[in-house]
Amino acid sequence: MSLAPTELTDAELELQRDVRAFLDQRLPAGSYPLGLGMPGHSDPQFSRDLGARGWLGMAISEKYGGGGRTAVERLIVVEELLARGAPVGYHWVADRQSGPSIERYGSEEQKREYLPKICRGELSFAIGMSEPDSGSDLASLRSRAEPVTDGWRINGTKIWTSGAADATHILGLFRTSEHKHAGLTQFIIACDAPGLTISPIPFIDGTRHFCEVAFDDVVISDAQRLGEVGDGWRQNTSELVLERGGVDRWMSLFPVIEKWAPRAPGLGSAALADLGLMSVRFWGLRGLCLAIARLVDAGESPVIEAAMVKEMATRFEQDSVEMVARHLGRAPDLISEDPYESLLARAVLVSPSWSIRGGTNEILRTIIAKGLR
Amino acid sequence: MDSHLGPDPALMASVGEFFASSFSPAVVPAGEDPAGAQFAPRWDSTAQLGLPLVAIPEEAGGSGGSLQDLLAVLVAMGSHAVPLPLAETSLAAWLLTSSGLEIGQGPATVVPGDARDSLTLSDGYLAGSVHDVPWARSAALVVALVSDRSGRDLVVSFDPSAGSLTPGTDLAGQPRDTVELTHVSATAAAPAGVGASQLFWRGGLLRAAQMAGAIGAVDQITRRYTRERVQFGKPIAAFQAVQQHVVAIAQAAEMSAMAVWAAGRAAAIRNGTFEACAAKTLANESARTAVRSAHQAHGAIGMTQEYPLHRYTRRLTAWRQEYGTEAQLTVGLGAAVAAAASFARAISDHDNGIEVPCPA
Repeated sequence: MSLAPTELTDAELELQRDVRAFLDQRLPAGSYPLGLGMPGHSDPQFSRDLGARGWLGMAISEKYGGGGRTAVERLIVVEELLARGAPVGYHWVADRQSGPSIERYGSEEQKREYLPKICRGELSFAIGMSEPDSGSDLASLRSRAEPVTDGWRINGTKIWTSGAADATHILGLFRTSEHKHAGLTQFIIACDAPGLTISPIPFIDGTRHFCEVAFDDVVISDAQRLGEVGDGWRQNTSELVLERGGVDRWMSLFPVIEKWAPRAPGLGSAALADLGLMSVRFWGLRGLCLAIARLVDAGESPVIEAAMVKEMATRFEQDSVEMVARHLGRAPDLISEDPYESLLARAVLVSPSWSIRGGTNEILRTIIAKGLR
Repeated sequence: MDSHLGPDPALMASVGEFFASSFSPAVVPAGEDPAGAQFAPRWDSTAQLGLPLVAIPEEAGGSGGSLQDLLAVLVAMGSHAVPLPLAETSLAAWLLTSSGLEIGQGPATVVPGDARDSLTLSDGYLAGSVHDVPWARSAALVVALVSDRSGRDLVVSFDPSAGSLTPGTDLAGQPRDTVELTHVSATAAAPAGVGASQLFWRGGLLRAAQMAGAIGAVDQITRRYTRERVQFGKPIAAFQAVQQHVVAIAQAAEMSAMAVWAAGRAAAIRNGTFEACAAKTLANESARTAVRSAHQAHGAIGMTQEYPLHRYTRRLTAWRQEYGTEAQLTVGLGAAVAAAASFARAISDHDNGIEVPCPA
């Protein structure tokens, strides 16, 4: 047993009440397009409104415009957003991991340039990792950054990059030498850089947030390098606690379940059993995610625990789609006038991606097994 | 600031050490009758440390301590396959003291409640039968809830040797007996201070703690075995197909333990029926995963009584069926969540106000 139980303090409960009150007012039901978890709709104004409340970049220090708060406080905000299917797409990646990465590894100049804007909800980041020939075997990536006078020239292709079409910046991992892991370096690239072409790849449900990002002699200054040359793999790995240990790994269907749960008694005891089972699983996962957030706040990096939770959470999240869908009695309609039905239809189509994005479950199990020895 | 929510590490360590030395596979041979000659000395050594009466107030004759302390003892008990009615005695003492009755001496047990039961109290005398009573043949006292003519719940106790006992065993070979009483004087009787529902959920939480401990043991044993067992020229832990089982068990161990501590915290400050139900359901589900994966990862040796895995997997399989199966628990919990104001808040509120009735 490595994860210790924890619960919210009075101050944290007060934050929870504030967030609920704000969202009840800012996002009344029916006033916004429902999203399916973290790739929720991109709504820069909503992101700026959250930023104005101090609810973006919460764990970033106040010196750089952040809240100087904790991972637990961020969890409290995020779970309220996801429960409502809020339009979080514009700021999601920047708030969850690019901001914290820049604060941890960036230069003073980078922190001053990017962090205040991330905290105000003005920047949207995408993560450039996968390539056509490098998915799970990420260290085999070939997109290259070559040194030129005062900077770097980047060539290659990133693919299956979520949110790139709306992003202002890409935080990407590129090859700077032939050493497998030590030859990788992270760079921050503005999406309007000459030579950079972003092309949406229609996703399985017809949405267009998935992208190919082509770099054709994109020249950037050395000031856009994040961290030391050759440290990219290590930096990328440490981001994974933030990427994998969160409540976003199991809350995608919550808006649909919220609407469906009161109707379950009319659907018979099998539906009640499904509702009961998903309730206890999510309750248990929430306890584990809260424990991980407390460890992060204590300065630890529970990479293995985060991977364990994500592997389990995404399976349960997929099960929840199956559980709700099987009591509908027909196939849900993708263009139904009922936004909850169309959201369920999308969930049925996209849920296989949940155990792929952020590290496939098979890769996660290998990582966990190594960590358990 | 969080340390009070979980178990006391020093208590866990010292109790674990005692159980490890007193109830190792070398000391407790497989196939031995747990109610046989060794029962009394084992009980005495454990009772001397006060372990059966943790969380019963000292002024009531107990050992004192919190509910989390009791759960810590039961987790440790589960992780060492201790062949004693500690949870049963604890539950009996809690039921008695909650109703203003004195706790007795020695091992005790509680009638779990069964559709076949027919126990009645009339003019101070008990008659009828009770079924599947864990450890009844070893207990000095059996405690039960009965209804009087006006439907009021009463707590009664009796000496099982005054009745006629038909021995049975659970899947782990532990006593689970039927007792028939014809005209037996109740040792004690009083209006119940707790209802059948509270008794059921506390029983479920104690079982969940034992199960979390046993799943933790299955986790450790499987990790060790897969590192040591060599096939095709390498430890089988090197194979991804085997790693998948190891990971599934580790997840089951984390999930079931977390749920027990969270439910213990809830039960200490409110009814906590939602959390107790969740903890037992997750223990059941985690047990199913752990038992299946551990046996698959072990292969044939895990199916023998010469290898210790069965000590845990048999108990887990037995305990899954007690104080609520997944089928019973999830339906009741689903109905309670459906009636709540919000599904999301049922998950994110620390006190979601949801009460789950015990299965009929």
